[in-house]
Amino acid sequence: MSEAPDDIWGIAHVHASFNNTIITITDQTGAETLAKSSGGTVVKQNRDEASPYAAMQMAEVVAEKALDRGVEGVDVRVRGPGGNQQTSPGPGAQATIRALARAGLEIGRIEDVTPTPHDGTRAPKNSGF
Amino acid sequence: MRVAVTGTPGTGKTTATERLSTDRDVIHLNDVIKSEGFSTGTDEERGSLVADMDAVAEWLDGREDAIVESHLAHNFDADRVVVLRAHPETVVSRLRERGDSDSKAYENAESEALDVVLSEAVHHHGTENVYEIDTTDRDPEAVAAEIAAVVEGEREPSAGTVSYVDWL
Ligand SMILES: Nc1ncnc2c1ncn2[C@@H]1O[C@H](COP(=O)(O)OP(=O)(O)O)[C@@H](O)[C@H]1O
Ligand SMILES: [Mg+2]
Repeated sequence: MSEAPDDIWGIAHVHASFNNTIITITDQTGAETLAKSSGGTVVKQNRDEASPYAAMQMAEVVAEKALDRGVEGVDVRVRGPGGNQQTSPGPGAQATIRALARAGLEIGRIEDVTPTPHDGTRAPKNSGF
Repeated sequence: MRVAVTGTPGTGKTTATERLSTDRDVIHLNDVIKSEGFSTGTDEERGSLVADMDAVAEWLDGREDAIVESHLAHNFDADRVVVLRAHPETVVSRLRERGDSDSKAYENAESEALDVVLSEAVHHHGTENVYEIDTTDRDPEAVAAEIAAVVEGEREPSAGTVSYVDWL
């Protein structure tokens, strides 16, 4: 067992692109990275990097590292629509959040902070999906 | 046949489609939205009109033989959807050079890194109708030629051929 204090609250940043999912757990300021994983580290095929399976594998890895460092729970910030092989939005993102919870992390506020392409006009929110 | 040319702002849609030699109408949809007043409000933070998608769809109805150019073009009916891509750093430098603000350049670059437009295009039209073209380090004429190849049916569909997540 580690001697880290057991009451740290962190932020899980989920970047869900078309081809990949990246999960980073930072402290609350976002400055210090406590755990990180990307799809390429858990699956062999490039095309599987954005799959829910990859997201779940990664979530288990980062959750374990984070718990080890005394993180008790996380707020989740999801960026990106993600996923090219399932229904959207973000199969990677949703699988990630479930897996983080299953691995023993408390889940706080979940925020979608996906950027909006804009150029004098923009689409209404969520019209993309 | 209607071809949508979409992509994150800064990928070069307007520039490339202006260089297309085609008999078809080229519709620059952002201009239409502004001139026809097709908006439901203003996003003050971004200085953008929020497009009235129903009004745009209705206006497009009956203009089938056209090339529709806009970062919103993939939200409407189309037979083929071209998605222009560019490295996020290229997006930033092109938009800054065009005179856009840093925040606008950055949010669009982040959108590009996360494949936001590509994912939406595939969601609406399926991988069999999406044609991704990387414009990084390519001049507008080359990009126009590749769009023309899509229009002429000389190009296979493609999606997910680039990845810019390392930029994030
Ligand atoms: N292929 C290219 N190579 C270099 N610069 C380009 C290219 N295409 C466009 N640009 C420049 O980048 C800026 C954005 O291009 P623009 O056509 O307005 O993009 P979009 O319509 O996709 O927002 C313009 O200043 C334009 O001159
Ligand atoms: Mg334009």
